[in-house]
Amino acid sequence: MGLLEEAFEENVLTTKVDWLINWARLNSIWPMTFGLACCAIEMMAVGAAHHDLDRFGAGAFRASPRQADLMIVAGTVNFKMGERVKRLYDQMPHPKYVIAMGACATGGGPYYKYGYTVMKGVDRIIPVDVYIAGCPPRPEALLEGLMKLQEKIKRTPVIRRPARTA
Amino acid sequence: MEFQAIHDRLKAQGAPGLLGFDEPRPANKKEKDPGRAGMPFVTIDPAHMVEFLRVCRDDEKLKLDILCDLTASDPSADSEDLWILIQLLSIEHKHRLAIKAPLPKSAPTVASATAIYRAAQWHERECGEMYGITFEGNPDPRHILLPDDWEGYPLRKDYEFPREYHGISCE
Amino acid sequence: MTDTVGKAEVEQTPQDYKPSIQAEEQRTLPSGEKEFFFDVTTSDLEVNMGPQHPATHGVMRVLIRCDGELVTGAQAHLGYLHRCAEKIGENVEWLQYLPYTDRYDYLASMNNNLGYSLAVEALMPDLEIPRRATLLRTICAELNRIASHLVAIGTYGLDIGAFTPFLYAFREREWIQALFEKICGARLTYSYIRIGGVFNDAPPGWLQEVGHFCDVFEEKWKEYHDLLAVNHVFVMRTANVGVIPKDMAIDFGLTGPMLRGSGVDFDLRRDMPYMAYGEAHEAGAYDVPLGEGKKGALGDCWDRFYVRMLEMKECIKLVRWCLEVIEDGPIIGDVPKVLKVPAGEAYVGIENPRGELGHYVHSDGGKVAVRCRVRGPSFTNLAVVEELMPGSLLADSVAIIGSTDIVIGETDR
Repeated sequence: MGLLEEAFEENVLTTKVDWLINWARLNSIWPMTFGLACCAIEMMAVGAAHHDLDRFGAGAFRASPRQADLMIVAGTVNFKMGERVKRLYDQMPHPKYVIAMGACATGGGPYYKYGYTVMKGVDRIIPVDVYIAGCPPRPEALLEGLMKLQEKIKRTPVIRRPARTA
Repeated sequence: MEFQAIHDRLKAQGAPGLLGFDEPRPANKKEKDPGRAGMPFVTIDPAHMVEFLRVCRDDEKLKLDILCDLTASDPSADSEDLWILIQLLSIEHKHRLAIKAPLPKSAPTVASATAIYRAAQWHERECGEMYGITFEGNPDPRHILLPDDWEGYPLRKDYEFPREYHGISCE
Repeated sequence: MTDTVGKAEVEQTPQDYKPSIQAEEQRTLPSGEKEFFFDVTTSDLEVNMGPQHPATHGVMRVLIRCDGELVTGAQAHLGYLHRCAEKIGENVEWLQYLPYTDRYDYLASMNNNLGYSLAVEALMPDLEIPRRATLLRTICAELNRIASHLVAIGTYGLDIGAFTPFLYAFREREWIQALFEKICGARLTYSYIRIGGVFNDAPPGWLQEVGHFCDVFEEKWKEYHDLLAVNHVFVMRTANVGVIPKDMAIDFGLTGPMLRGSGVDFDLRRDMPYMAYGEAHEAGAYDVPLGEGKKGALGDCWDRFYVRMLEMKECIKLVRWCLEVIEDGPIIGDVPKVLKVPAGEAYVGIENPRGELGHYVHSDGGKVAVRCRVRGPSFTNLAVVEELMPGSLLADSVAIIGSTDIVIGETDR
């Protein structure tokens, strides 16, 4: 920063574009209102006053996939719903993230063996960023999953750099 | 009313299709009878199911006006029958009646009870897709829980789990 | 300029085209007033509500056909959460199935555990349930009923457009969940009530805390009442909407608050008592609130909502009674680890927060059930929606679905 140090007036911070864009993104992850099963109740509990998802900038649940950044797959996905999940995911604008909340969304959970209509994990149809264990996960676990996602967003390069030549 | 009184009343009213009843009994080691636990039920002929239900609903002493449940059961893969199981409840007299109607697997067709109890409609749809029973006269006999193009009757004992659905592996 | 465009359009239209508004006709009414007619050709619009919709309480889809703002037809599509609970019941052992009962009505897991346990116990006449277990079961079932109704009320406000009651309702619900966590370690899926009793005794001080909760909750109840139940906007949205007459409620086999909201005096806890409910009723521990049509017609959405409100108060009274009579003792009967249930069939229905939860179990004497049927109250209660919606306004359809208080896990199982 040596060169730029004295170049601007006061109250101006300098940073990388990557950092700035990621900072904005990770602090305003808007999830989609999309509850499937039991885990959705815990997701609602996270959104309510006690756990307060708003602290992470992720409390603005959007009813439309067009306005959402994050899909929290909260519950069991079966084949009938799977097609809809895929369509909803396709409708979301980039950049988009997916959290597979709970055992069912991760890998079929307790319905793995005899659940003839249950999809054995939502990652068979859409890419998943963060998996959260539990059946259902505690609200704290969902918050941790969200923080993991934020860490991931922080590491993502936004600006394409020219390849370095050695 | 107790179960025995309900059964006697049904018999006195000449309820069509009444075949008999089954009550729990203690085990009898001498006759190698393992006994039967649980609750009593009446057995009926499915061909007269609708008329039988009408008697149950309209009779003053019985007044079984709520259909709690209508489902089926496949007792075993070798069994030649499917059972239709109906649970009725009377709000006024506060008693229940369980009904069982054995239906041959070779011709699983029965008249719909929708005209007697509107509640039967969705239960019959579920029964139809899970066991392959046709309810004649049901106004809307589509699949209810399974996708429209689902093959097989999942709750039958000889059902084979699918290997894939629309290109998504089930294993 | 505009004229030519207009002419060009007219020329392109086919011969049988009718303009949407024809010439006015008029006739004179007997009163002398003149009435005008407009022959308006409109087409029906199909609106797809769900499966991803904030007001369907999960993943249900309703295909609504509407003529302008008026709903002319509705068709519910289920099965987006079909999880094969009944097939699983035929494949896993008796005790292994208990966690699955948690998951079909995930708002009232204690009641589901109870319903399943009672059904299996009905096949085991020799099994004796200790009194302390019975009372602990009753306390937990009633606390869970409060928690379930809190969600019903909070999300109903959310559907109608009031966000604040949701935050209030979840505040008290968190407390109940903390209480459950202390007694069984889980917040949502408890598996606490086992076949033969309960699996864990109340930790020291738990019963006192439940008593404290009862005291606090009665105060908080008044907040909900003032905030939502008598709120003018809320009453306008729900009164006289989705009216279910008595005979229609019975014909559709409705149970629980849906039935009582229509003024039918029937509660399985009182009328076909199980566990300690008969004794509690004799002791005058609770009443059964009914819809009275206070704000509109009998059996409207507000009545159903208010029955749930009043029921929470009765639950508190019941819990208090249990806390008075509970005494020390064993908490589970003599149940082997690998359970073999005597051969037989039984159907047991209990009063779940949403209505009659029935379990039909059929055993052939082995370790696994032959048939394990779940009669979910939401499934039957939802069927009435197809009947209620036609004739109502499009905005009211949300109020009607919300008032049925369905849990999709249970309709689809």
